[in-house]
Amino acid sequence: MVPAPRPSGASVAALLAAAIGLLVLALVQVATELNASFKDSVFAVGKAWIPGAAGIGPYSGKETFMLVAWLGSWAVLHGVLRRKEVDVRTWGGVAFVALALATLLMWPPVWHVLKGG
Amino acid sequence: MGSEPRTRTDWTLAYVLAAAVGAVALLALATAPVAALLGDSSYAIPSSLHGVAAIVYVIVGTVTAYLAWHLYRGTLEAYRDLRILGLLGAFFSLVTVLFGNWIYIYYRATGGPRSYFLEANAPIHEIFFEFKEFIALFTLPVSVASAYILWHEGDALRDRPHLRQAVAVALILAWAYLMLAFGLGAAITKLRSV
Repeated sequence: MVPAPRPSGASVAALLAAAIGLLVLALVQVATELNASFKDSVFAVGKAWIPGAAGIGPYSGKETFMLVAWLGSWAVLHGVLRRKEVDVRTWGGVAFVALALATLLMWPPVWHVLKGG
Repeated sequence: MGSEPRTRTDWTLAYVLAAAVGAVALLALATAPVAALLGDSSYAIPSSLHGVAAIVYVIVGTVTAYLAWHLYRGTLEAYRDLRILGLLGAFFSLVTVLFGNWIYIYYRATGGPRSYFLEANAPIHEIFFEFKEFIALFTLPVSVASAYILWHEGDALRDRPHLRQAVAVALILAWAYLMLAFGLGAAITKLRSV
């Protein structure tokens, strides 16, 4: 026997949080390419807690921003949505559009154009 | 409607095969200089573990993507298999990313592959490696979210077509990110290894 479905909110929250984390990663990456002092700040964030971050460079800070945005937004969205039935088509669509945008922003020729060369 | 009673699977042949493969592997490890295959880099072990984890992840991810296609179409029967594969995919994504972080230290070090590429063929680093290092990270949140949904929903996913299709797309997307990262990683390693 197939069990009764649970409210869809918790599952949609997981999907949306993944998309938010990766969109933040992409935006931070583009911002570090456009602004050197922001890049230094991002590097400092990574060095604050990741072992060997000095060797990894600003990538460590970008990973940190992604993890905080992903897991933080997941915790918040899970708390808000877990007992709710939400429109999977709409919010799933939002998540996939965000993922597509994040993927596009991660393509280096896009940053090169944004940097003006 | 009557149905055939389920019979227990006889695992004897599988155990015999596993023991045979294990014995051959042990013989090879004991009689061949396997360590020579790792190279003499100080990062030989983490880079080998990164590569092995990535290969296992490709195998797991490819089977998962095949089942995800059936999930999307509503023709999947093996929900339990997909749940286990989803969890394994999330695990191997994490392991591959962790070892990738480790060897990235050597990639960026003075005299490492990054400085070589910047001098000899800058687009290899500036486009392909930069894209690979980020797109590999994409597998982690997407595969973890997919595994969570598969386990949270359980077999009830059969009756939720939109959610079923959403998680199927996410699983196939995670596989696509994996294959991009794996293909670029293999190509770049061929040009200059860690």
